[in-house]
Amino acid sequence: MKRIMIDPSKCDGCKNCALACMDSHRMDGGNGVVTLNFTLPETEARNEILNDGKGGYLPMFCRHCSVPGCANSCMSGALKKDMETGHVMYDEKRCGACFMCVMNCPYGIPKPSADGTKILKCDFCNERPEGPACVAACPKQAIWVEEV
Amino acid sequence: MNQCYGCETCKSADKPLENFIAGLPMETSHHRVKGQSVKCGFGLKGVCCRLCSNGPCRITPSAPRGICGATADVIVTRNFLRAVACGSGCYIHIVEKTAWNLKNTALNHGEIKGHKALAALVEEFGIDASLDEHAQALAVAEKVLNDLYKPVWEEMELVEKMAYAPRYKKWKELGILPGGSKAEVFDGVVKCSTNLSSDPVDMLMTCLRLGISTGLYGLTLTNLLNDVMLGEPAIRMAPVGLNVINPEYINIMITGHQHSLFTHIQKRLADEDVIAKAKAVGAKGFKLVGCTCVGQDLQLRGVHYTDIFDGHAGNNYTSEAVLATGAIDAVLSEFNCTLPGIEPICDELKIKQICLDLVAKKANAESVEYAYEKREAQTEVIIDKIIEAYKERRKVVPMKLQPEHGNQNTLTGVSEVSLKEFLGGQWKPLIDLIVSGKIKGVAGVVGCSNLTAGGHDVLTVELTKELIKRDIIVLSAGCSSGGLENCGLMTPEAAELAGDSLKEVCKTLGIAPVLNFGPCLAIGRLEMVATALAKEIGIDIPQLPLVLSAPQWLEEQALADGCFGLALGLPLHLGQQPFIAGSELVVNVLTEGLKEMTGGQVLVEIDPVKAADQMEEIILERRKGLNI
Ligand code: SF4
Ligand code: SF4
Ligand code: SF4
Ligand code: SF4
Ligand code: SF4
Repeated sequence: MKRIMIDPSKCDGCKNCALACMDSHRMDGGNGVVTLNFTLPETEARNEILNDGKGGYLPMFCRHCSVPGCANSCMSGALKKDMETGHVMYDEKRCGACFMCVMNCPYGIPKPSADGTKILKCDFCNERPEGPACVAACPKQAIWVEEV
Repeated sequence: MNQCYGCETCKSADKPLENFIAGLPMETSHHRVKGQSVKCGFGLKGVCCRLCSNGPCRITPSAPRGICGATADVIVTRNFLRAVACGSGCYIHIVEKTAWNLKNTALNHGEIKGHKALAALVEEFGIDASLDEHAQALAVAEKVLNDLYKPVWEEMELVEKMAYAPRYKKWKELGILPGGSKAEVFDGVVKCSTNLSSDPVDMLMTCLRLGISTGLYGLTLTNLLNDVMLGEPAIRMAPVGLNVINPEYINIMITGHQHSLFTHIQKRLADEDVIAKAKAVGAKGFKLVGCTCVGQDLQLRGVHYTDIFDGHAGNNYTSEAVLATGAIDAVLSEFNCTLPGIEPICDELKIKQICLDLVAKKANAESVEYAYEKREAQTEVIIDKIIEAYKERRKVVPMKLQPEHGNQNTLTGVSEVSLKEFLGGQWKPLIDLIVSGKIKGVAGVVGCSNLTAGGHDVLTVELTKELIKRDIIVLSAGCSSGGLENCGLMTPEAAELAGDSLKEVCKTLGIAPVLNFGPCLAIGRLEMVATALAKEIGIDIPQLPLVLSAPQWLEEQALADGCFGLALGLPLHLGQQPFIAGSELVVNVLTEGLKEMTGGQVLVEIDPVKAADQMEEIILERRKGLNI
């Protein structure tokens, strides 16, 4: 089972991971940041870089927790932990937009969508063979994938 | 990752060069491409602003405005205008120094080599032709300088004299006739500073004004003034590539854009007493080795000093390889495209670095800031220092010569004048070839070389091959021509790569399918050719079956050049977007809106075949418009 590991001390806050996440989840069929619309709410990133208040950054990536607060609080069964991959996956069709997951994630990962009808959450790039887009885009190797 | 050499280097269209660089025991820019391959998307699209202490602000879905309220459109145009103003400043610096050199030459009754070039300027500027040549040259230089120093609200006098009348009229309508060139740069940078202009369209119009001032003064006039002092280009065959470096001589690599700064040195190097000095330390004499645009300029006028100049070695991103041959004893630099990365190489190979202009001061270089009145003493100091370096280094530095690199028969010396002369003193033969369809159209493939559009010269060479295959003749100026010539595309044999009818034209005339105008400054010459063709046919420039491409544009200067092309109404292809993709408005104006204003348009395409398709389509459309 794969997880994204984080070394906050290496992060420079460039948000390349955020752009890569947006790009890998865009809906217009395009590819590459040059043609990516940076202002479309639908393509908001599923990760977040926070300021740590001490001159550094806190890269916030979904932990795909062993005990996922989000999935455990999800009444409709839209969020479920896949026992094979270990990743917590979201099924938009089942989502009731109650945002309990938003309340219950200790890391603040799930975000309500701009129109309030669903959530946006890391899907580990849908297990694409090249691995997560964010990891590939990080110039500092502040994030990486590890087998756990 | 940046520190490793011997690891992966980037591709080059020039395979022998690629292999040479990959095998070098030192790091070059080609080695650093991989380590810099992850680009910041905000910077790439121009939506990062750090104009005030609130920044950097970046545009995202949850933050569509900077703290001050600047939108993506405002941030992008401010960044773009800043780049264009800086680029314009660079070219205006060049023409300013060149005009001062002409003025001083005239005042001191120095040598005037380009009599025809002077006569043409005298006529164009309306100067009294009965004056003696030095008085004429003085008047020319003063007219240029007067214009450069005008305030922004005073229109430059020579614009109307130099510009094609229909264009002048258009520019007047659009309100983009430039005031004094230096003041335009000044106002340009003021406009895009913190919390000043927030009108993206107005800022783009300012870019066009800067483009006109850059194109007519920085480009066109620099060439013509240099022609007066250094001699006019003449068409001939010349060797290019690393093979031009002859280890039996004391070799000076020259980099920059200001040919007139070398006037005195290049003359002295051929003098008997200086050659004797070289002989005393075991060399046969001195040679200048061309690199970057000033090398292209020397090559263009090479017919006037074959004794000290063998040929052009390569473009900006070939400079490290030129040094790595071991046979270069000094770098004389005076302007940009002198890469910071040559410093550790010069240190390692004990190559003396001397800077002639402090705007391009290299950290390890000794500065000998060129001044006309001190030039004689300066030349002696420079020569002695270089001899010293030669003595020190030749015993210890190993040679890695590349005698097979490049070729011996690159067609060079093409200019607006020499080309017309070649055609029998008229443009008609060329126009006839275009009308008959033997030449489908003309493409100017110009500008720099970079390492990121497929690799070193990769897009430039691929695109050029695509264009000539379609019977579109290519005119080239800038580091792009340095790459094209080293890859053999400017030899008569390259006709084999052209489409059938262009091939026939080349063979009949004995020319290459890619014509070599030399340095990026000569983009101005190429635009003079465009103007001459339009004038001869009696149409405006945007109607010509002529397209411009800066496939591997690199620097801010290229953006200022590009703005001139757009003001002239030319379609301008770029391999990579100039950090504007974050603003829909800017993209729309440059790719669509401009068509209605100046007739120009930007096309961005990194795929050579698709780019050639689009350029061909425009050419065909324009042919249709002219009923040919
Ligand atoms: S969204 Fe939050 S709670 Fe759910 S798996 Fe990711 S980190 Fe854990
Ligand atoms: S793994 Fe994919 S979905 Fe998750 S944060 Fe990274 S890029 Fe976004
Ligand atoms: S890409 Fe890496 S360095 Fe940049 S913000 Fe993300 S985690 Fe930090
Ligand atoms: S010069 Fe430009 S590309 Fe190079 S590091 Fe600075 S911002 Fe980046
Ligand atoms: S000028 Fe505006 S957008 Fe730029 S850094 Fe300052 S607050 Fe941010």
